[in-house]
Amino acid sequence: MPRVGVIGIGHGRFGRRSDATVQELAFEVFRTALEDAAIERDAIDASVIAAVPEYHKQRSVAGVVQEYLNLNPRPTWLTEVACASGSAAIRTAWMAIRSGLHKVVAVIGCQKMTEMETAEILALMGRVGEVQWESVFGTTFPAYYAMFANRHMHEFGTTRDQLLAVAVKNHHYGAMNPNALFRKEITLEKAYASDPVASPFCVYDCCANADGAACLILADEEVARAHGDRVVWLDGVGAASASMSVLRRPDLVGLPSAREAARQAYEMAGVGPGDVKVADVHDCFTIAEIMAYEDLGFCAKGEGGAYIEERRSYIGGDVAVNVDGGLKAKGHPIGATGVSMAYEIVTQLRGEAGERQVPDADVGLTHNVGGIGQYTFVHLFRKE
Amino acid sequence: MFGWFGKVSFVPYTKVSDFAVHLKDGRLMGSVCADCGRFAFPPRADCPDCLSGSFSYREISGVGTVHTFSTIAAAPTGFEDMAPYTVVVVDLEEGGRLLAWAGETLDPADVKIGMPVQVVPRIFEETPEIRVYYSVEEPGATWGKAPVRGGEG
Amino acid sequence: MKLGLEGKAAIVTGGSLGIGRAVAIGLAREGVDVAVNYRRHDAEAKAVVAEIEKLGRRGLAVKADVASFGDAEAMVQQVKEAFGRLDILVCNAGITWDGVIWKMSEQQWDAVIGVNLKGYFNYNRAAAILFKDQKSGKIVNISSINGLRGKFAQTNYAASKGGEIALSKSLAKELGKFNVNVNVVAPGMVLTEMMEKIPAEFKNTALAETVLGRFADPADVADLVAFLCSDRSRHITGEVIKIDGGQYI
Repeated sequence: MPRVGVIGIGHGRFGRRSDATVQELAFEVFRTALEDAAIERDAIDASVIAAVPEYHKQRSVAGVVQEYLNLNPRPTWLTEVACASGSAAIRTAWMAIRSGLHKVVAVIGCQKMTEMETAEILALMGRVGEVQWESVFGTTFPAYYAMFANRHMHEFGTTRDQLLAVAVKNHHYGAMNPNALFRKEITLEKAYASDPVASPFCVYDCCANADGAACLILADEEVARAHGDRVVWLDGVGAASASMSVLRRPDLVGLPSAREAARQAYEMAGVGPGDVKVADVHDCFTIAEIMAYEDLGFCAKGEGGAYIEERRSYIGGDVAVNVDGGLKAKGHPIGATGVSMAYEIVTQLRGEAGERQVPDADVGLTHNVGGIGQYTFVHLFRKE
Repeated sequence: MFGWFGKVSFVPYTKVSDFAVHLKDGRLMGSVCADCGRFAFPPRADCPDCLSGSFSYREISGVGTVHTFSTIAAAPTGFEDMAPYTVVVVDLEEGGRLLAWAGETLDPADVKIGMPVQVVPRIFEETPEIRVYYSVEEPGATWGKAPVRGGEG
Repeated sequence: MKLGLEGKAAIVTGGSLGIGRAVAIGLAREGVDVAVNYRRHDAEAKAVVAEIEKLGRRGLAVKADVASFGDAEAMVQQVKEAFGRLDILVCNAGITWDGVIWKMSEQQWDAVIGVNLKGYFNYNRAAAILFKDQKSGKIVNISSINGLRGKFAQTNYAASKGGEIALSKSLAKELGKFNVNVNVVAPGMVLTEMMEKIPAEFKNTALAETVLGRFADPADVADLVAFLCSDRSRHITGEVIKIDGGQYI
């Protein structure tokens, strides 16, 4: 089977980017990725843009980005599956290359979230679930995951300390990431003292909105091999959907879409959870990372709390998870997050992560969830 | 009429709009596929199993157990005046699940996963326009149902 | 037309005399159990109950002053318990105490407002609480064409009758979503005991106002009220229906 490789990566500063438009954010990371790949713009056949449109004043973001990057008349389109948009765009590029239609595809995840008024953002916050039967009661994104957490705590004895330990870890690593929104460590005490959001969550259980962009350039095997030895291969590509509504999930202590997407990715790449050295998982809320350890097979169902408590997801543990700070410390510019995850794993597998380097990282994974788990995309990367 | 449903409505039109009319009259309705008999709550016009678009309503008791819940402090637009409020996911006796607020007889502090509850149809009484919802109450809670309309006299 | 009122239960205030008596008996004839209140006329009230029972229905006479908030609450409760249900409220109890305003005492004003307007508030409120919870009910408030027009020497009476109309319309808006209809019947001159005391010249003036050349029988009003208490009028609410022989068009 012909392989698809990542030949260039770029990542911008996440945070309140009042200094730039979405296309200017896209250009920053596109420039870096082109330089990183050491290719000319002409080498690119197509682009796939990942952005969640509701947050932009500019309609049809792909068009304005493509023009600003001077990629016209190459084909481009937007991929949107909420917070998993970035990985969906990567999967789309992978499919385009594997089909033989394109040889080199640029994937740009770019997102502004600060262009909207607070009231508009708060209104959008209420429409995350199924608007017909749930949003009419004022559900919010944190409230759904909080309900997962309450159930997980009830069924497995997971504790508040364990939930917030995820935040402590991710802020620890975010402090070392110059692109992260939050670059200070936090303590458990500080986390407990933060304002309540949706029980059992307080502010420190929740990721923050941010502006930001990241870019990946993927190429077919022929171009990638000609590229030299910094290429990282995207060998496992898995994706699945689950009910939009929590009212029709089989259980509320894990994400069936994540389990299925992981299964596909592992199978395609010919590896298992025990082979994974480094992973970026979707920690939109603390419980999400705990459920990810379980859904990805790093530990058994119900043992995710012990996994973080025993520091098994730190560098030096079993699988180094979110050692770029995760969504928690980086911030979550929705369309860019999936590409940011891939950026980190590629950096790790190239051995270029500096003080956050995971030793002997040869197999890495990204786990990118859309909304409250109605979509998950899992990508398995290998060094050789 | 479906625009009556909830504190803020996002869905004015649906093939199951009459759900809100029945709710106003004190009846919680699920749907039954006319072709294969599959039951669904919340009700839906199109059967997920077969391709039928024909269905009828079937009243449910509202008896259920708490699956999970959360008390929301940071509310979205339109719900700020209610915060904090508690949303509860209830597993229904007849099958299906719903999400609703912990209601008047149920103290949010007393909500526990696994406890038995009664879902009760409600009308927002003090708004001039018609608005309906349902709430999660202690088992045994009762409520009024409008008489079923008879034929011509 | 079948009214479909069999087995229902009603309260008719001021049901021992005149219009109220006719309404009570008219409802009983349609199969309704009826409770009436009385303030002084207990013999007449008991006679109405006897008529109701002769028609095969349950009757109840309750001593209650309609102007008393507490009496009204208590009566509604008592009737609900006695009959096991309450579906209909007809407010009819009313008094006049005429006089030009410069000769009208404070007591004249307070008494008429108290019995007529506050009395309807007392009973409408107590019934509304019940009807809203059971998601069904019918309220008919009997007003007068003198609630729709000015009437010499009736500033107090007209105010109370006009007030009953405004109360009913507002209440119709509050109770609509609970499947409760609230309507007003506005009679002109009706041949009742109260009317017999009126001097002949006033009666003739009134007669001349009508286009039908007659006054209403209490039974005419009772028929309209029964219709408004039935499911046949389910789509009528917040309405004022005059029954005056064309006395005020």
